[in-house]
Amino acid sequence: MVKMTDLPIKGGFSFDLCTRNQMLLEKGLQMPPFRKTGTTIVGLVFQDGVVLGADTRATEGPIVADKNCEKIHFMASNIYCCGAGTAADTEAVTDMVSSQLQLHRYATGRESRVVTALTLLKSHLFSYQGHVSAALILGGVDVTGPHLHTVYPHGSTDTLPFATMGSGSLAAMSVFESKYREGLTREEGIELVAEAICAGIFNDLGSGSNVDVCVITKGQTEYLRNYQLPNPRTYISSKGYSFVKGQTEVLSTKITPIQPKVETVGGDAMEE
Amino acid sequence: MGDSQYSFSLTTFSPSGKLVQIEHALQAVGSGQTSLGIKAANGVVVATEKKLPSILVDETSVQKIQLMTPNIGVVYSGMGPDSRVLVRKSRKQAQQYFRLYKEAIPVTQLVRETAAVMQEFTQSGGVRPFGVSLLIAGYDDNGPQLYQVDPSGSYFSWKASAMGKNVSNAKTFLEKRYTEDMELEDAIHTAILTLKEGFEGQISGKNIEIGIISADRKFRVLSSSEIDDYLAEVE
Repeated sequence: MVKMTDLPIKGGFSFDLCTRNQMLLEKGLQMPPFRKTGTTIVGLVFQDGVVLGADTRATEGPIVADKNCEKIHFMASNIYCCGAGTAADTEAVTDMVSSQLQLHRYATGRESRVVTALTLLKSHLFSYQGHVSAALILGGVDVTGPHLHTVYPHGSTDTLPFATMGSGSLAAMSVFESKYREGLTREEGIELVAEAICAGIFNDLGSGSNVDVCVITKGQTEYLRNYQLPNPRTYISSKGYSFVKGQTEVLSTKITPIQPKVETVGGDAMEE
Repeated sequence: MGDSQYSFSLTTFSPSGKLVQIEHALQAVGSGQTSLGIKAANGVVVATEKKLPSILVDETSVQKIQLMTPNIGVVYSGMGPDSRVLVRKSRKQAQQYFRLYKEAIPVTQLVRETAAVMQEFTQSGGVRPFGVSLLIAGYDDNGPQLYQVDPSGSYFSWKASAMGKNVSNAKTFLEKRYTEDMELEDAIHTAILTLKEGFEGQISGKNIEIGIISADRKFRVLSSSEIDDYLAEVE
């Protein structure tokens, strides 16, 4: 029988396995923890564009899973997105929308607009009813000017001149609320963003390590990876560490000689 | 896709073992506007006639040569709308490859996937084969490459190839002019001369289209003023 060319797959969450999951939980199954990015992410609009900032710590409960992860994701050459929440969700959703934006650029022949990315993200997140745990700060500059938005896991969005998200958002917002003003210069914008991220790094356990900054202006984007490293390893011995014989107490010694390798030389090839 | 009454393939074998629909598709290609491609030592050039049905058509709105990825471009001969569908599908496949492997799709892989789509439409229910042949030009880690894909889904790598109305004259011309160590600039000149051979009327930057890719791996379509410059050099 010939096969029919495929129908388009309908979207949305498939609830098929929910009864099974419920049954397993009742039986006492421990769900494995997912890697959350207890995070500080920020963004602000300055006179020529937007500045995005993020810390670089990824946590798995109380453990630091990645000391220097990248939370500022590429969407388009003029649009970047900071992600807080479940690391896998933020990665997957930003990659997917970045791909869709590329296809859209081919179809339209134009540079992508921030609102396009915003709409693609929010409609995807809404259709998954908050199960995709991605809280994003989306910023970019397009033909209509600089834009900064926040996107929440359930699909709601805000348009703001400055924004913070993640577990360190309160610490970072305190810096923004006291020091932000309209018409900041590029240097002032970067300084303020770095200060806000540092507030998150030092005052929130879920955030830490280094500061990543991304500056987007009309026609140019600068991704300043590890712009600040306020948490270096304090002491590393330059001589290295040596362990002299006799420092560790030897309890017993057993020596097993290595078996010599048996090699057959010559002999005839097998018949057949 | 299609009614269940038509869930059988419309492309069926003839007693002599030919697929007549594919033969007819090749006819459609053969009566389309001439297009050609040349692989140089340091790049690839593709070119096509852009004869518009009337002087009233706004030629700036028509673009026959299109990008599939930043380093792979395509030109067609045959039915324009069919090529648009293929380009759309191929662009999506290139994106899916990137999302899976986090690496730009190699030219051969994209050609293979495009060819697979074209073959699918010769063996599915309720659909007809595509009425286009594509010339896919790209530059990746394996250097410059040029592939031709036919309505049947078969593809070949070419050093230089032509398709469409003037195919036999164009191929003869290319066979004479082609050299292995051609530079991209020479290839562009040769492409223009080949198009000129069978061109009816006055050739200009407005009625031909040229796309090039060099070692910078960025496929781009030349503007009509750039084409006019090359035409002046060729005169």
